[in-house]
Amino acid sequence: MGADPLGAQSIGSRLMEFLGDLAKWFVENWDGSGGYLQRTWEHLQVSGASLIAAAVIAVPLGAWFGHTGRGGFVVVSLVNVGRALPSFGIVALALPLTIWLAKTVPFISSGLGFLPTFAALFALALPPIFTNTYAGVQGVDPEIVEAARGMGITETQVLREVEIPMASPVILTGLRLSAVAVVATAPLGALVAYGGLGRFIIDGFAIQDDVQIVAGALLVALLSVLTEVAFTWSERWFVPSPLRRTAESKDLVLRPVV
Amino acid sequence: MILAQTNDAFFRWDCVFSHLDDIWAKVLEHLVLTGIALGFGLAISLVLAIIGLRFPKAYPPITWVTGIFYTIPSLALFAFLVPITGFSVLSAEIGLVSYTLLILIRNIVAGIDGVDPAVREAAIGMGYGRRRLFLEIELPLAMPVIIAGLRIAAVTTVGLVTITALIGQGGVGFFILSGLNRFFNTEIILGTGLSVIIAVVLDSALVILQWALTPWARSRSAVV
Amino acid sequence: MRRSFRIRTVGATVLALALVASACGDDDASGDVPADGPTINVGSTNFGEQLIVGEIYAQAMEAAGYPVETSFNLGSREVVNPALKSGEIDLLVEYTGTLLTFEGGTSTTDSQETYDALADLYSGTGLTVANYTPAQDKNGIVVTGAFADDNGVSSTSDLAAMNGTLVFGGPPECPNREFCLIGLTDVYGLDFAEFKPLDVGGPLTVAALEGGEIDVALLFSSDGVIAAKGFVLLEDDQSLQPADNLVPVLRREIVEAYGQDLIDLLDSVSAKITTAELSELNKRFSLDAEDADVLAKDWLADNGF
Repeated sequence: MGADPLGAQSIGSRLMEFLGDLAKWFVENWDGSGGYLQRTWEHLQVSGASLIAAAVIAVPLGAWFGHTGRGGFVVVSLVNVGRALPSFGIVALALPLTIWLAKTVPFISSGLGFLPTFAALFALALPPIFTNTYAGVQGVDPEIVEAARGMGITETQVLREVEIPMASPVILTGLRLSAVAVVATAPLGALVAYGGLGRFIIDGFAIQDDVQIVAGALLVALLSVLTEVAFTWSERWFVPSPLRRTAESKDLVLRPVV
Repeated sequence: MILAQTNDAFFRWDCVFSHLDDIWAKVLEHLVLTGIALGFGLAISLVLAIIGLRFPKAYPPITWVTGIFYTIPSLALFAFLVPITGFSVLSAEIGLVSYTLLILIRNIVAGIDGVDPAVREAAIGMGYGRRRLFLEIELPLAMPVIIAGLRIAAVTTVGLVTITALIGQGGVGFFILSGLNRFFNTEIILGTGLSVIIAVVLDSALVILQWALTPWARSRSAVV
Repeated sequence: MRRSFRIRTVGATVLALALVASACGDDDASGDVPADGPTINVGSTNFGEQLIVGEIYAQAMEAAGYPVETSFNLGSREVVNPALKSGEIDLLVEYTGTLLTFEGGTSTTDSQETYDALADLYSGTGLTVANYTPAQDKNGIVVTGAFADDNGVSSTSDLAAMNGTLVFGGPPECPNREFCLIGLTDVYGLDFAEFKPLDVGGPLTVAALEGGEIDVALLFSSDGVIAAKGFVLLEDDQSLQPADNLVPVLRREIVEAYGQDLIDLLDSVSAKITTAELSELNKRFSLDAEDADVLAKDWLADNGF
């Protein structure tokens, strides 16, 4: 590839050659345990797992704090610290912990790969989901909440049947922000022996294979955009229609990108 | 545990203290990389924001393009750049600057848009020309929102700089990478911790800057 | 690769400051000063041993008064080799057999033969080699002590009996390397169930081997970890790995600028680097987390430089 010395080919034709190689890569590398279909699946696995785990913890917590109105300081601190934590550092830090975990806990087979990546992505996903849920629930019009209480339903019911549905655009925004951040950051897992699409980028760096690097980068970017689109569309199903327009304006926490 | 065998303590302070020069050099590198990104980012964003304000039709394409950069995952963006600009400061900065653009443009525009129309009208009534209006009324009043955006951009950039260690830069991210390449907890903790500290310090500095630049807002509490 | 390759200058300078002028000890250039000449930029790839030997040569030259710069941790051979040829770096410590093969020559298991072939290959080009070290560092196929006992393996050929079942772990570039996966498949007929890309003989590979996530690992024969962890370095009974003595490769123009004195200095350093010493240095770097520059300084002091 590129046998000609610098001067012989114009930039244009080199670019065409590169694009040709890139297209060839996509045609040839879709299958097998190292192919991009498999890698995309691995990528989605760790992203999905960490997002779901974070949501399971952060939505109830955020809703509860938002409902009682306490913990505003926690929210602000969490946002600031969360944004300040470098994901690269978290992934690296998680490694000795997960290696140790794999040695002491019998049913954990591997301290490399999935676990440290999951740990880092989980930490990344928590703050936006928590703070958005908190802000969303807390920001529900107090008159509506009062009216609901006045109807004689329990506090939990107020939370579940009034506040959360009304806060759903904001909550969903938080989930969307986290999801995109997680998918975008998962490539770092390749540094701790995980698969995923980051493999193409990191391995490509190792052997200076520009085609592989760019291919991997393209795939990650594409997946990231698809995640964003998927969540934006899903609003249609989860958010009651009168509330849909508020989602965009309540972009409270700009996504931390890696 | 591997590390219990190899390092007696979890975090070796002695090694930290014996390497203060190196650490300081990396912290400086980190600050320089961050500073360049924020400087260029702010300059470019101001220009684009002014264009967007002046020609409202241009605003959607501007946010669209900068939004695309924002969506591209950082490692991927640096990966795109390496074949073109190499393992260089330039590659790092192109990536870092791109990430600041969307946040800063949005906040600058939001800040200026948010200026009370009554104030604007009063100023025009007093004879302020367009440029004076922008520089002396709109921009100062938009400061809190602009600085809020600058704070987000700053903290995000500090975190992203650590990733540039993978393309030969990195600032304190160098310690994270180096610690990962051998069994060295202390380095990883050092790199991560320093990144957080730098981010917090920068954030606080910007809060102070905001306080200094907006004397009229001091009686009200600052926006997160 | 047709794109123009540039080493980060700011980063390299800061790295040089960080690595050569270490805080763990001062290191000022003194001694006889040769005539003013070009700065010698010492490069290295991205694993511990490279950092250590790079430091050794760099510090030895600096102590003798040569103007030295360092650009360490650049990446794999695909990165540093073009860098050396284009003049981005001036000196690189390489491995005779692997380099010879990389450049298109044929290597053997005989150190002198391989070295001579390499020197011949470079004659008339912009690169040249100084003398090689007694120390060798070859790719090592490694299993845990327990695995070796349970399965009765002591050589690489023994692994063929378990074809299709074993997981192999090594550097990401391994599938592209003749002395790694390509050779293991072609020469030994090995067929692994899976290859896991880990790191270049670093903690990930060691942790994976220790934790049983891989059965067979690629480490380096001079790596002190092997002995420290009770791993077994399998015998290369089909002689896949060539002689891989360490050798400083440098640009001819540097030699022309400084003459035989420089070569003599490098040779005198090289003569003292044995495999045992190298293993010890590597172990201290990886397991005891000592710094490359400190290790180099200590070694130079111990060996009279």
